Amino acid sequence: MNISRVVFGFFVLLALTLNFGFFLGEIDNPDHHDVYELFAALVVGLIATVMKLGERSQMSAMLLASSLVVDLHLIAAVLVWAISVHVLDVGLTPKVMASIVSLSGGALLANLLSVVLLTMETAGYSR
Amino acid sequence: MASSTSLLFFRRMRLPLIVLIAAYSIATVGFTLMPGTDADGNPWRMSLFDAFYVVSYTGSTIGFGEVPYEFSKAQRLWTMVSIYLTVIAWLFSIGSIISLMQDPAFSQALRCARFRRAIRNYDRPFYLLCGYGDTGRLLTRSLTELHHPVVVVDIEQDKIDALGVEAYKAPVHGFCMDAIMPQNLTAAGLQSRWCMGVLAVTADDRVNLKIAVTARLLNQRAAVYARADQGHVADNMRSFDTAHVVRPAEEFVYRLGLLLNRPYSYQLYQWLRSSPEHEFPKAPEVPKGRWILCGFGLFGKAVYRVLRETGLEVTVIEENTALEGLPEGSIAGRGTQAETLRAAGIEDAAGILATTQDDVDNLSILITARDLKEDLFCAAVANRWSSGPLFEAARPEYVAQPGELIAGTILSHIRSPLLSHLFNRLEQTSDEPAKKILDRLVPSTDSVRQPQLLTVRLSKNRAPALHALHKAGELLTVGVFAKHPLRPAERLDVEVLMLSRGDEDRLLPASETELEIGDRLLLACSPAAARRVRVLLESDSVAYRTVTGKELQEGWLFRKLEGKLSMGKS
Repeated sequence: MNISRVVFGFFVLLALTLNFGFFLGEIDNPDHHDVYELFAALVVGLIATVMKLGERSQMSAMLLASSLVVDLHLIAAVLVWAISVHVLDVGLTPKVMASIVSLSGGALLANLLSVVLLTMETAGYSR
Repeated sequence: MASSTSLLFFRRMRLPLIVLIAAYSIATVGFTLMPGTDADGNPWRMSLFDAFYVVSYTGSTIGFGEVPYEFSKAQRLWTMVSIYLTVIAWLFSIGSIISLMQDPAFSQALRCARFRRAIRNYDRPFYLLCGYGDTGRLLTRSLTELHHPVVVVDIEQDKIDALGVEAYKAPVHGFCMDAIMPQNLTAAGLQSRWCMGVLAVTADDRVNLKIAVTARLLNQRAAVYARADQGHVADNMRSFDTAHVVRPAEEFVYRLGLLLNRPYSYQLYQWLRSSPEHEFPKAPEVPKGRWILCGFGLFGKAVYRVLRETGLEVTVIEENTALEGLPEGSIAGRGTQAETLRAAGIEDAAGILATTQDDVDNLSILITARDLKEDLFCAAVANRWSSGPLFEAARPEYVAQPGELIAGTILSHIRSPLLSHLFNRLEQTSDEPAKKILDRLVPSTDSVRQPQLLTVRLSKNRAPALHALHKAGELLTVGVFAKHPLRPAERLDVEVLMLSRGDEDRLLPASETELEIGDRLLLACSPAAARRVRVLLESDSVAYRTVTGKELQEGWLFRKLEGKLSMGKS
């Protein structure tokens, strides 16, 4: 067992699960979506991106790309949150919440792809 | 490749970046958990947004103070934690970047990437030079004078560093690596389409041989010029079609042989087979009689053979009497001592040759011999380029420096491949044609600049204008090159040294000689005249005017009006 691959897999998977946890719930209900979960999803996503940097294989290029997409989506979601709550003071209206959650939904898709790719690569390894 | 450097960079930066992200997120979350109060004393906690704001300015050590409200004790406690956490994380990542920059492996990779990029960006013919010693320096200087970029490969970093401070007229890229490795030569641009030639002039025969083989296999179009000290290595190189192999000893002896037997050929050879800035050589009178040869090494042996072939009597002085092939009656000892020289019979000798491998010994031999006998013909080998001034001061009648011999010979090959044909042809005849050529090239024997040598091939690609004229039925003669296109009475400074047609080489063809398609000509001319000749080869109107003396009508209408010629590049 390769410990570095365990850590790598851990972060990629954790990014997906956190993202999924945030995404789960009614799309426009602020009570169903916690800001800390979004924050955690973003931080883990960033760490997963850094871990993918400097990998060599073709698969890892795709992994890195999907990770960058995740970061982009989540940063956009965080910005929407911060601007609407702290800058414009409109609060978490259903419209704002819906846009935040749908952005994180996009990130979820990319995270899912990351995990699938990682699984494929690992499966290819053992053969 | 550039991507491999960035790959290395990111691999090394992975941990510092993760530490940084982790430190920031811990500090941010911590702030939101610390209880505090707002301006009115109500319980209040920071939002993630406020927390990230505070961490951002404390982490970068800017410190705006306590915003938006004054901190509680708990928040101050966490501020301390986050300051140490983020500052240490920053120091760690910046330290990693700096140590990565100073890492020899990384800087080597960076240099390598820069080097490759520079070579990839070449857009004109360049030469790949392996070995930056005396020969390498001379070659680099002369090649850059001809505006060819040079890529220098040497195994010693010192020499590459020395390259950086020299001023050359064309880009010169030096790289420290072992030329014996094929992948290094490939990295140095061996397979580039602009790589005109590979010059293997290291001091090691084995390395030169390997370079020559590598170059032949990996790039068929690049000409290979190699130095070989040993005879069998030279034969080996010639066996696989190396453009030119130079053996310093052979070259030295060949020139000495010319000096002894054909003074005019010697002058011409010595002059044209050296760097362009070289002065016109004098041909000293060689006295007849017995010669003393000091040193029986690589040069000594070759010299001995040639002197014997010329029919001269030779007495050898050599310290090591066990040497193979040492002739009978040789004197044991060093030529630097007067007794040894006397034992060799210096009083009735005609000349002395100092060919040991030590320049100090060679100089000492010359000085001692001159002391013993005033009017002795002195010849010497100057092994190192740096002792050149000393030899100049000692004023031997003939001195040769191996580096100059190699560089000059290779250079003349690069400048004009036909030159070897010329000298081969001169070898077959008497010394008379060489004298004629010299008379034409050197009106007065004061210091004259070396002429520019041009090789002209009468083909559709190389001389389109003349080719078209010939196809149109115009009569082309050798004299056309010396004609001035505007002033027919004037004669350009162009000498046609040789006309090469098929296997036949004609020296100094008469100006009435008719030219045929496929002819190759060796021209010697001044730089200004060389430009005119190039225009003559390529411009239809200039060629037409020069050959017929009439103006070429360009454009469809004028041609129709003139109504006869169908010129142009069809």
